[in-house]
Amino acid sequence: MFCIVSFVVLGILGIFSASNRQLAGESLDCVLRRVTLRPCNTGFDEKMKAKILGFVIVRSEGGARLLNRFFEPLSWVFFVLLMASSIWSVRGLYLFYTTGSCNGLNQAGFCVFDPKGSSNQVSGVLQTCKVNPPTQADLTLKGVDLSGFPVLNADAADKIVFIGCYHCDFTRKTYPLVRQLVNKYKVSFTFLHYPVKEPTDYMTRLGMCAYQQDQAKYWKMNDTFFSTDKANLDDTSWMQTTLAGLGFDTVKLNQCVADPQTEDTAKKQMAEITKTKFYGTPTVFINGEATVGPKPYRVYAILLRGLFYWLR
Amino acid sequence: MLQEGAGRKKITYFDNACQTLRPKQVLEAINQYYLKSSACSGRSMHSLAAEVTRECDQARTAVAKFLNAARKDEVVFTRNTTEGINLVANSIGLQKGDVVLITDKEHNSNLIPWQTMAKRQGIVVKIVPSREDNTFDMDAFAKMLAQQGQVKLVSFGWTSNLDGVTIPAAEVIKKAHQNGSLVLLDAAQTAPHHKMNVKALDVDFVAFSGHKMLGPSGMGVLYGKYQLLEKIDPFLVGGDTVLSSTYESCEFLPPPEKFEAGLQDYAGIMGMGAAVKYLMDVGFDAIEKQELLLNEAITAELKDFSRLKLLGPADPRLRGGIFSFTIEGVDVHRIALMLDQMATIMVRSGQHCVHSWFNARQIKGSVRASLYFYNTLEEAALFTSSLKKIGKVL
Repeated sequence: MFCIVSFVVLGILGIFSASNRQLAGESLDCVLRRVTLRPCNTGFDEKMKAKILGFVIVRSEGGARLLNRFFEPLSWVFFVLLMASSIWSVRGLYLFYTTGSCNGLNQAGFCVFDPKGSSNQVSGVLQTCKVNPPTQADLTLKGVDLSGFPVLNADAADKIVFIGCYHCDFTRKTYPLVRQLVNKYKVSFTFLHYPVKEPTDYMTRLGMCAYQQDQAKYWKMNDTFFSTDKANLDDTSWMQTTLAGLGFDTVKLNQCVADPQTEDTAKKQMAEITKTKFYGTPTVFINGEATVGPKPYRVYAILLRGLFYWLR
Repeated sequence: MLQEGAGRKKITYFDNACQTLRPKQVLEAINQYYLKSSACSGRSMHSLAAEVTRECDQARTAVAKFLNAARKDEVVFTRNTTEGINLVANSIGLQKGDVVLITDKEHNSNLIPWQTMAKRQGIVVKIVPSREDNTFDMDAFAKMLAQQGQVKLVSFGWTSNLDGVTIPAAEVIKKAHQNGSLVLLDAAQTAPHHKMNVKALDVDFVAFSGHKMLGPSGMGVLYGKYQLLEKIDPFLVGGDTVLSSTYESCEFLPPPEKFEAGLQDYAGIMGMGAAVKYLMDVGFDAIEKQELLLNEAITAELKDFSRLKLLGPADPRLRGGIFSFTIEGVDVHRIALMLDQMATIMVRSGQHCVHSWFNARQIKGSVRASLYFYNTLEEAALFTSSLKKIGKVL
């Protein structure tokens, strides 16, 4: 067992050091002998045992004595640990590739490949404290009426529902990726604006009115809002100029935004969105599967087209 | 090399029987050739060649003085002890039925050439057994000389690399000569440690290596009595060995040139000259004294280590600079590796090219600490304390 553990450890160390590379070669020879049921007579295990004991003995004679006595059982322990950690590492790597986190989709535990947990960051929904706050498991589109929300490629079989807010950094990071996906695969894309930041209530109504006025122009507006500097969204003159530039009738648009009926509809839509039990933006449902936080592009693509999306 | 630094810990070098470290004087002599006088010796007429010829001649003279040879032409430069022994084995005209005596603890270099000659020429190789304590058995030797018929050659290791035991060369040579036998001494482990006086000993051939006596590796010496060297044919032939040649024949140069075929290792020869001068400056009395001091200290310190089995006689005075041992139940390579890992102590483990001795006794090998005059009591103390720790743990 010792030579197998050694081969893995030395193989990794060998990337950086020539002497370890040589030892890795010796351990490989030993491994090949063991797996073909031949004795490992290269002296490798003896050599390594001596080196390890020599290292330990100067620090602790008792430790060296124990190590010498239980070397084989300890080798087994390390072998099992190595196997377990290898499986765990492969699992973590797979999950990181497919979900953006070593711990699985929307799981916020530590991940060595994403130590800052950037793929799980969200702009939290302003809510009062609850005894049982919603979690990833609660996220759902069941019972949510999406009929009043802006939708692109409505007839497509694959469906993406995006909950985000114009002012939220993580939404702003995610939106272009999802749009790229939508453009590439022509999937159905429903955008639900949820004003996590209070001053952006206006933006919800603006979106509703813009969509009513001209759907094609609405999507251009949406793309512009997510690509422009965030500060521009609070600049009224920039907003009016941009809307006009996109071809909207700004007078009608402003009237619609100010209309109490619009506000009423917006409130109803907010109520529909909260039925999803989402707890932060961005939350993206891809064919019903929810992702929370800014994931890498591949995660969305895999959810949509499978592991080998890049082959399709 | 013995200094700490450049990312390396201070080493304790106890593998001198394999090869010694080199003093600056030797390295400078080697460099001198490549940096200042890199040319052929003896062949060309220009001043650089003359300088190399002079330097090589001085080195040969120094080696002759080191051996107390009657003349410098008795010194043949070889690559190492092994080549020297092979030269003798293949040149002295051994015939079918000739007997060659060796001891039971010869280095492979003084065993395999005779085994090969036995297969090729039909010579008979006989082994003189050692005493129980591995010292030389003069009675057994005398008996074999008398019983074995025509012993053409006695080829003994002068000092054993296995246990450091030195044979009584003078008496061996006297008895062999009385029997009409030639004597070849493998002095690989003698030349670095003991004063050699070939003239006084009246020995016929002596072979030794540079790398075990502060000299360069790939450099050795075969001493031979001039009248014998004159008589025997060269083993390797070619350039530099002949005075002249025709398409049909050649006229060999006198010794030592006729044995030194091809372009020689001039840098090595100069380094060898520097090494013997250095050793003579240090003096063999001082060398032997320091080695004995160290070996006595190690032996005394480890005398109560019951699991430690010493190879060779208990008396350190009979073992020169060698402390060869096993620890009951512990692999010898493990001990060597642990010493290196624990305290950067370099020792040799295994069968030390004396496989025949170990195999005959079914011993896997030994750990050999081989000391030299530059080793210190502090290093000896580090060695013994490390060994004791290993003994406690394993």
